[in-house]
Amino acid sequence: MDCCGGTTEHEDDCGEVKVKDSIDAKTVEAAKALESENYSAGFATTIETDFAPKGLSEDTIRYISAAKNEPEWLLEWRLKAYERWLTMEEPTWAMVRYPKIDYQAYYYYAAPKAGAKYASIDDVPKEILETYEKLGIPLREAEVLLGVEGAVETAAEGREKPRVAVDAVFDSVSVATTFRKELQKAGVIFMSISEAVHEYPDLVKKYLGTVVPQSDNFFATLNSAVFSDGTFVYIPKGVRCPMELSTYFRMNAENTGQFERTLIVADEAAYVSYLEGCTAPMRDENQLHAAVVELVALEDAEIKYSTVQNWWPGDEDGKGGIFNFVTKRGDCRGDRSKISWTQVETGSAVTWKYPSCILRGDDSVGEFYSIAVTNGRQQADTGTKMIHLGKRTKSRIISKGISAGKSDNTYRGLVSVNRKAVNARNFTQCDSLLIGEKCGAHTIPYVENRCASAQLEHEATTTKLSEDQLFYARQRGIAEEDAVALLVNGFVRDVLQHLPMEFAVEAQSLLKVSLEGSVG
Amino acid sequence: MTTALRDFIKNPTAAELELVARYGMQPEDARRERAFLAFAETGLPHRRMEGWKWTDFKAALKALETPAAASAKDPLPDDGALVFRFTPKGFEAPAKLPDGIRMVVQPGVQAFPGAEDVPMGALAAALAGGGKRPATLAFEITSSEAPRLHFVFEGAGEASFARIVFLVRSGASLTLTESYLGGAGLTASVLEFDLERGAKLNRTIFQRGGAGEALAVTGIAHLGAEAEMTQTTLAFGAKVARMETRVVHQASGSKLNLNAAYLSGKGFHADITTNVRHGAPSCVTRQLTKGAVLDGGTGVFQGKFFVPRKTGQHTDADMQHQALLLEDGAQVFAKPELEIYADDVECAHGNTCGALDDAQMFYLRQRGIPETQARAMLTEAFIAEALGMADEAVRDVLLAEAQNWLSS
Amino acid sequence: MRPMLKITDLSATVGEDSEAKTILNGLSLDVPAGEVHAIMGPNGAGKSTLSYVLTGRSGYEVTGGSATLNGEDILGMDPEERAAKGMFLSFQYPVEIPGVPVMTFVRTAMNAQRKARGEAEISAPDFIKKSRDVAKMLNLDAEMLKRPVNVGFSGGEKKRLEIYQMMMLEPKFLILDETDSGLDIDALKTVADGVNAMRDPSRGMLVITHYQRLLDYIKPDKVHVLAKGRIIKTGEADLALRLEKEGYDGVLGEAA
Ligand SMILES: Nc1ncnc2c1ncn2[C@@H]1O[C@H](COP(=O)(O)OP(=O)(O)OP(=O)(O)O)[C@@H](O)[C@H]1O
Ligand SMILES: [Mg+2]
Repeated sequence: MDCCGGTTEHEDDCGEVKVKDSIDAKTVEAAKALESENYSAGFATTIETDFAPKGLSEDTIRYISAAKNEPEWLLEWRLKAYERWLTMEEPTWAMVRYPKIDYQAYYYYAAPKAGAKYASIDDVPKEILETYEKLGIPLREAEVLLGVEGAVETAAEGREKPRVAVDAVFDSVSVATTFRKELQKAGVIFMSISEAVHEYPDLVKKYLGTVVPQSDNFFATLNSAVFSDGTFVYIPKGVRCPMELSTYFRMNAENTGQFERTLIVADEAAYVSYLEGCTAPMRDENQLHAAVVELVALEDAEIKYSTVQNWWPGDEDGKGGIFNFVTKRGDCRGDRSKISWTQVETGSAVTWKYPSCILRGDDSVGEFYSIAVTNGRQQADTGTKMIHLGKRTKSRIISKGISAGKSDNTYRGLVSVNRKAVNARNFTQCDSLLIGEKCGAHTIPYVENRCASAQLEHEATTTKLSEDQLFYARQRGIAEEDAVALLVNGFVRDVLQHLPMEFAVEAQSLLKVSLEGSVG
Repeated sequence: MTTALRDFIKNPTAAELELVARYGMQPEDARRERAFLAFAETGLPHRRMEGWKWTDFKAALKALETPAAASAKDPLPDDGALVFRFTPKGFEAPAKLPDGIRMVVQPGVQAFPGAEDVPMGALAAALAGGGKRPATLAFEITSSEAPRLHFVFEGAGEASFARIVFLVRSGASLTLTESYLGGAGLTASVLEFDLERGAKLNRTIFQRGGAGEALAVTGIAHLGAEAEMTQTTLAFGAKVARMETRVVHQASGSKLNLNAAYLSGKGFHADITTNVRHGAPSCVTRQLTKGAVLDGGTGVFQGKFFVPRKTGQHTDADMQHQALLLEDGAQVFAKPELEIYADDVECAHGNTCGALDDAQMFYLRQRGIPETQARAMLTEAFIAEALGMADEAVRDVLLAEAQNWLSS
Repeated sequence: MRPMLKITDLSATVGEDSEAKTILNGLSLDVPAGEVHAIMGPNGAGKSTLSYVLTGRSGYEVTGGSATLNGEDILGMDPEERAAKGMFLSFQYPVEIPGVPVMTFVRTAMNAQRKARGEAEISAPDFIKKSRDVAKMLNLDAEMLKRPVNVGFSGGEKKRLEIYQMMMLEPKFLILDETDSGLDIDALKTVADGVNAMRDPSRGMLVITHYQRLLDYIKPDKVHVLAKGRIIKTGEADLALRLEKEGYDGVLGEAA
């Protein structure tokens, strides 16, 4: 279909394709006001920041690489990507419209002045800790501190509350990783990718760019040139990661782009569940987020990757907000491996994102569960690609799109079955819900089947919020907005249940906040 | 002249140069030029264009050549029908038409709005006419009892182009059948339908072409208030064959049944592409496309429902595509698309792709039906579902043609 | 005398190699011609599995034992071969066949079976007459027989349509898998009448059910309890009554 793709058989299809029909320009007219106070994560933190020189050039890249004290091979890798990027054109096939991005107007690297990594969580600047606290991220929690200090020998299993190890990325730099020691004991590597480059260069070198090649698409190539930080996870053979791993991303500095890069490798028979959360302060300018996430699952390994994305969506007039252009791809490299993407997308002004699975190993499984909510003037073009290469590979796609306000919400997906993928199976369900008469909901599935024994099934519906149900709930005394939230929660239930507990709760309240002001 | 003409298309292929030359031989006509320019914008459509990524005319059609095989025999009965033929010799029509049907052979090209969206339709409009063929053939239907019109398109050497325009007046109805029988290296035809309030159209298309031929049938229909259109296509494909239909619901209460079956054997490519715009409230669309593909064959389905803001309220639209890959080596590509800007709508689509259902096969075999027969029965029933709304006069023939293909 | 259906030490698994699960585990059972045997047993015991294994549904692998019909090994046969030998299964969940009208379907089946047995095809008038008679007896609307098989039929209608097919095809050995569930009281009676009309010294029947109610109408000669993949208890018709009163726990506790 497009560019986020990149198995060789699709590479030719990339880029050139243009979607003509698009958003009605007339929709950009005076609007019923949506209250931007709804965005509870929209505060900025005042701390001193080191920036790379504004704009993008070879020098910027050298600056980033030097600031991070990177080995020569990585600098070369970045420069090669940059060279390639200069020859590429920004894709236009997605159903999103945004003003031309001036890539020279961004800072490509912003780090809190105090210095990057902190030896102890007590060294993390107070302002940053407060920021995370406001976001409800438990960096300071006692347990976490215990983790930092390595004093959790006892009773780790007996604890009732599930624990989450957190890597927090503030603008471009990872500021704190918790529970490190305990993870180390299990053999799990969980650290910022900048550190991993130094500590585990062989592992990083072996896997970096093997799932999303440098030249994969415009935004991924940009990321390869300028990625600032991100998370590296390696789960050794046979290890079940003893806790959920989590990264919180926050964009704080003005005019910065965030280009994190995440690489997760689950070795044979390993298991990991990884959570990713994102927020950014309210700013009038558009901020650019072009992340790359690569997952590798070897034989019998399983990776569960969950995202709650709540970047600042811009105000009710479409001013400001994050451009979220993300390339996420998992490679089920080994037989019987499994990769499962779950996403709750409520934020960003423009989202362009297709978490995908390459089902290479025989009997491997790919899953994509998505809730995408758009309100105000948000635009989301999101979906997945399931590339079936191995025998008896299975994939499952459940996508729930909710459009409100004057937003546009597009599901775009590809299910491709190679000739050799005998007995491959796919089931896809795409449901769209429209709230109000000024929004749009679109479904664009692509199906390419080259294997006679494959069974592919796709269902899609588009409906509006049922008046009858709404009335019924309200008749029983539930306020209109709560009733909407209730019905919407019912609508997305199939997906919510795939999120880890804590995230599911967070996601539910996010849905409610995102849809405030959408009815009545 | 040639250099000027050459500029029409960037980096033209041999086939495209021949098309430019043919255009050069046509009488000058501003509307013809506009249509040709719409085609020249892209040249023969190719895989780099979103709507043609799976059906590449540029790659398939290297040069315009007379195919080795003659036209297929027309299976559709012509008794009781008024028959019009586009043949290698030209165009034949009945000497006299009954009341309620008026035919106008227009020497000039009619305006063609929206030509940019349908490059092969634009090409047909630009190159129709010349020799003994009409540039535009126009019909006005005023009767609700008019006999069936049957159009036959058969062997015309290197290339055959036709443009036919139908105006179905308020309350009138038209039953139309078309047989595309191959025998031309490139066949491109464009048919336009304007249905006034309460008008009815039942259109059936039968297509069978040679393995070396390219064929594009483009239909464009505008439905007035409470108009009703039913279309049934049975396509066997060609080296590359596209059956494209674009329908606009223009006024409230119109109803569309859009059905098709494609059967694609080794070396054949059949493409069913549709685009339905619900440009008026309370219109209904029911679409069912079925396909069966053998080793070395390709099936393509692209469907789109577009429901604009406000005017599309109370749309009721359903699109289903189901394909059977009967053998290893078959391939099917599908893109069932919904683009919806109105909230009070019921829109759904479904797509299935694969082999016959195991549970059904077992049920039949449990009742004693041998495997091959069970397979044939299920496949026939599967395809037949898409043919049930064809006009009675041709329905059984379509079924028999499908059955013959499936059992051979 | 040799029993009509003889199942000896039958074991079967379901699922792919790696996750194959044993469902039937050394099941033995004899049904002589002319008799009706009921099979009861808790949910998930393997009753439907037994009916599928006997009729040759794919996905089930026989891992041991044998099953013969009139002395002939049936386990190696294709489903349609077994059907032609007279095996008929009334499905617990009848399958929908879009696009194939009931009449067409049954006539095709009937002629295929006849052909396999070396008999002549049924003539169209004979078929229609027979169909009309059977439909009348089962209170089936003639319109229903023109619709595609099971598509859009209610749960009870589907079950009645199974009996219609059974009476049309006149099989030698009948397996009724929960044919009573989903039927209203009158329909239950009608279906039972249909089944009773099929009772014949040359026919055998296996009736799978959860309820005594059906057995009030179709008097079984024997009642078997299937649990954990084998027949763990066999008794006369009154065993069903006891099961209904005491439950599986009560009766099986004593068997163990
Ligand atoms: N394809 C399958 N894959 C995995 N397990 C299966 C499959 N088919 C059947 N089973 C399991 O086998 C067991 C027996 O199933 P079966 O349908 O034979 O039970 P039953 O006795 O008919 O139950 P009921 O009274 O509920 O109809 C159940 O536990 C069922 O879940
Ligand atoms: Mg059962």
